[in-house]
Amino acid sequence: MADPRSLSRRAAASTVALGLIAGLASGWWAITAGMGGESYSGWYGSRVTGSQDAGPWLRARVAVSGLLALTRDQAIYFTRKTDAAGERLRDACRYQVSGGPLPGRWWSVTVYADDNYLPLNDDDALSFDSTEVKLDSQGNWTAILGNARPEGQAWASTRNAGNYDITLRIYQPDKSAQDDYASIRMPVVTKLDCGDKP
Amino acid sequence: MNRTLKLGLIFAAAAAVGHVGLVMATPRVIMGAAIKRTSKDGSVVNQFQFGPRTTKDSRAVVRPSPDLAYSTCAYNLSQGPILVQAAPTPGDGYVSISVFDARTDNIAVFDTRQFPQGIRFVLAREGQAVPDGEKVVRSNFDQGLILDRRLAPTAEQFAQADAARRTDSCAPLDSKGST
Repeated sequence: MADPRSLSRRAAASTVALGLIAGLASGWWAITAGMGGESYSGWYGSRVTGSQDAGPWLRARVAVSGLLALTRDQAIYFTRKTDAAGERLRDACRYQVSGGPLPGRWWSVTVYADDNYLPLNDDDALSFDSTEVKLDSQGNWTAILGNARPEGQAWASTRNAGNYDITLRIYQPDKSAQDDYASIRMPVVTKLDCGDKP
Repeated sequence: MNRTLKLGLIFAAAAAVGHVGLVMATPRVIMGAAIKRTSKDGSVVNQFQFGPRTTKDSRAVVRPSPDLAYSTCAYNLSQGPILVQAAPTPGDGYVSISVFDARTDNIAVFDTRQFPQGIRFVLAREGQAVPDGEKVVRSNFDQGLILDRRLAPTAEQFAQADAARRTDSCAPLDSKGST
């Protein structure tokens, strides 16, 4: 009868294989799950994206979902997958994005399908930016995320985007914004209605 | 040590190796693929390639910005440093040149707000000789990517940015006549 303390090569090899599989699975989960970084009113951003200060986990996450991202002195990036109520953004619904002055030279909001590429539509409205929105006297603005071009408003088309996310890019951000992301008044994304795709 | 404990320790060690190995290898593997694709399997290195306007069909790099004109240079410093130059876009449009190493780190970035007359620097490995008087960026790796980003949210602005970037260069120092 075998000594219960002894370990056969077969058992050891099987355990190594199982351990490697579990490690690879947990590694992939760590790289791909969640948005990474810190949350600011539902927008996720990281102060070390692209920089040499990024740790191995963030570096791997950026490689998968934001390769060749700029450092924060050039651009800061925020991404969100949900509306203000915490529900997943999806192309069957229409949303209003409303915000105020953003602290940088130029900004844009872009729609990405869940494969991390631009949605496959020909609406020529993959994003809206600071030159397209109409400002009120306080510098506030609104824009639409949806399948149909709205009258007289900036918009980004979500046609064929499925369950999507949006990225806010602020180029050449003010120093105060670089130092304290929490100081940025982040745009609010509010669901207007949902329905069948036109 | 009993058998269950031994198996548990083996499992934990293997899981740690798998987890950390994947996390550490992922940036190098993805950047390697991007360099290979950009350099057309190594046949186009140390020169800029000018991308078309970003559309839904732009799939070379994840999450491209449709508001920017991108140009890329896959660099290789194994034969010596390279000189990188980029002209501004007329009208003071945003232009930046960013340098990424083989590990995906953004090791340097310059823009035309800092250098309104144009961007110029030498990219070299540690220890490689460089000319006096040049701005120098040092990389810990032979290979990587340089990205020229120009603001171009409309077709008209894209045409303007495209014309300006055609004078960009990313070439071995000797070929630029530098000492």
